Amino acid sequence: MVQRLQTIAAPPARVVLFGSSGFIASALARALAREKIEHRAISSREIDLLRPASVKQIQAELRPDDALVVTSALTPDKGRDVSTLMKNLQMAQHLAEALQGSACAHLIYISSDAVYGSRETLIRESSALEPRDLYGLMHVAREQIIAATAERTSIPVCIVRPCAIYGAGDTHNSYGPNRFLRAAMRERKITLFGAGDETRDHVYIEDVAHLLILCLKHRCAGTINAASGAAVPFRAVASIITDLVGDDVEVEHVPASGAVTHRHFDVTERIRVFPDFTPTPLAEGIAESLRRLTEPQRD
Amino acid sequence: MIGFIGLSHLGLNYSLATAARGFDVLAYDADPALTARCSAGEFPIEEPGFAELFAQHRGRIRYSSAAAELSACDLVFYSLDVRTNERNESDLGPLSALVDATAPHLAGGSVAVVLSQVAPGYMRNLCRRLRSRSAAAFYYQVETLIFGRAVERAMEPERFIVGAADPAVALPPQLNRWHEAFGCPVLVMRFESAELAKIAINCFLVSSVATTNTLAELCERIGADWEEIAPALRLDKRIGPHAYLGPGLGIAGGNLERDLVTVQALAAQHGTDAAVVAAWQSNSRYRRDWALRQVHAHVLSQNPKPRLAFWGLAYKQDTHSVKNSPAVALAESLGAFEKIAYDPQVKSLSRCVPNLSIAASALDACTNADALIIMTPWREFRGVDPAILRRALRGDVIIDPFRLLDRTACVASGFAPHQLGC
Repeated sequence: MVQRLQTIAAPPARVVLFGSSGFIASALARALAREKIEHRAISSREIDLLRPASVKQIQAELRPDDALVVTSALTPDKGRDVSTLMKNLQMAQHLAEALQGSACAHLIYISSDAVYGSRETLIRESSALEPRDLYGLMHVAREQIIAATAERTSIPVCIVRPCAIYGAGDTHNSYGPNRFLRAAMRERKITLFGAGDETRDHVYIEDVAHLLILCLKHRCAGTINAASGAAVPFRAVASIITDLVGDDVEVEHVPASGAVTHRHFDVTERIRVFPDFTPTPLAEGIAESLRRLTEPQRD
Repeated sequence: MIGFIGLSHLGLNYSLATAARGFDVLAYDADPALTARCSAGEFPIEEPGFAELFAQHRGRIRYSSAAAELSACDLVFYSLDVRTNERNESDLGPLSALVDATAPHLAGGSVAVVLSQVAPGYMRNLCRRLRSRSAAAFYYQVETLIFGRAVERAMEPERFIVGAADPAVALPPQLNRWHEAFGCPVLVMRFESAELAKIAINCFLVSSVATTNTLAELCERIGADWEEIAPALRLDKRIGPHAYLGPGLGIAGGNLERDLVTVQALAAQHGTDAAVVAAWQSNSRYRRDWALRQVHAHVLSQNPKPRLAFWGLAYKQDTHSVKNSPAVALAESLGAFEKIAYDPQVKSLSRCVPNLSIAASALDACTNADALIIMTPWREFRGVDPAILRRALRGDVIIDPFRLLDRTACVASGFAPHQLGC
């Protein structure tokens, strides 16, 4: 599903990063800086992919030996409606138009595990694309738009589908480690739906950034999930956090609205492509997130 | 005289079994170098019991590359194995070319039986195509040889499944005589049924393999032991004592995969539901990578530069075939890491696997290795004393999917064994 076009790791000449103010792009920019890889982070304030003018701006920006990483998207917290869907597709349209007239060496598109359905017990890259909402549908459509453009322009494309990402700097407040951490610190309380039996795969933001660096250095083409491979129940996440934050944090259970669901990832493809990559264990990642969250307060 | 046309694995085994059953056999292949080697007792296959059987019956079998000699046979078998490509699709071109080249040499009143692995529809088309060019009557017979047990299967078949243009017509006497020599039931059916029967057998085997592997993985997660469950299933009359209930690393070897691809192609052509086949294939791929996941979890995540010992490269024991071998797939996935492999029959690989070297013995492969990965369940690996391994291996990880080593003894010797189904 994913292959290294560059067997021996080598940094790209430059990485152009769209959506630079987001959670993933910020972490990637830090990782690129650590790796001393030249990069240019572009936020929507500089080039707004929603505007038609962005086509020419992108073309003026891109160099033939650039690797382009696209993280730009209006996430569900900005809207789950048709209007948001259409805006996201418009962004992809402008990007596609720009790429028709301006080559780059490699393109990484950050998609989402929202492209998958809920029927499969073990999700892998070859799992059926069955989005359950417009956000998932948006990523499916954007993947197709970008893949079709890349085929016409012969740009190798890597689609990265992260599962639930956690870590300091998350701008969302989804049910899971980030929300639990904030709630534990501020309210001394974590609220779980039901018994918290539902299992999810939570991937650490720094691992996602590391994986992206590997994809860039090996000029990977294809599709890869960014997941840890170890799904855990939400109650286990809560337990890790109460151990870290303090015994006085209350774990509250409220009635769950739907059936208990689970989401596991088969990470064999990642192991095959990057056998020396090992994800951060959840407890370690949460401890690190907590440390980063509390550091500024100490300052 | 009974002729065999095409001396690949199938033809070599069946021709020898026929000689062993008391018939005079002409074994034909267009390659004179091959027939010369066979005449000298040098065969390009490794099968338990083959050499001994040949030594006993070599007086009844003659290898020849002269097609004209086939006219002396009143019964011939087309026995060329049909090769598959990387997508597991059959290439029937060489078989068809062989039939075209030899059918004109067959005598009037003779019988030709195709043993090769053909897809439904092939025989009916073949008969239509050859109607004016061959004097022989054509039949199809399902072959169910198993690599590593081919001699046993050829000598003691469970039954013969014969495909005929018209199953209501009695089989010719020369074919009946051959069948009688083996003393097993003969089922005659129309061509299409026989062709699909072979595929049906393999689909049922694959379904057993996939079911076993699915449940064995659950055992690994919930504290059950598949070895405790399997005997209960074998006593169930609906499942049976010979069912494929051993957890493994998916299907390999090419034949089963071929039949799954054929079912999918037929289902696509005729609009039937074959989604379960895709699930079997997916399960097989997933299971094949079990060892890779174990190596990553227990070795690579702790040691960035391990030395890995491999026992076994063949896709299964008692064969030198590495077609779709999980061992080779694993070695390729672990390209960057040092690997030392030992296999009793595979002494080299046709394609280059980075950083893989071949050891002279099983123990040599283990010297200073951080982990031992047993990928083919060869008999000689079974029951090796872990205490001996302890002296050779540097690390304490043993990945033993087929449970060849005694778990308790491994633990007593300080190893952490990782096995399928428990």
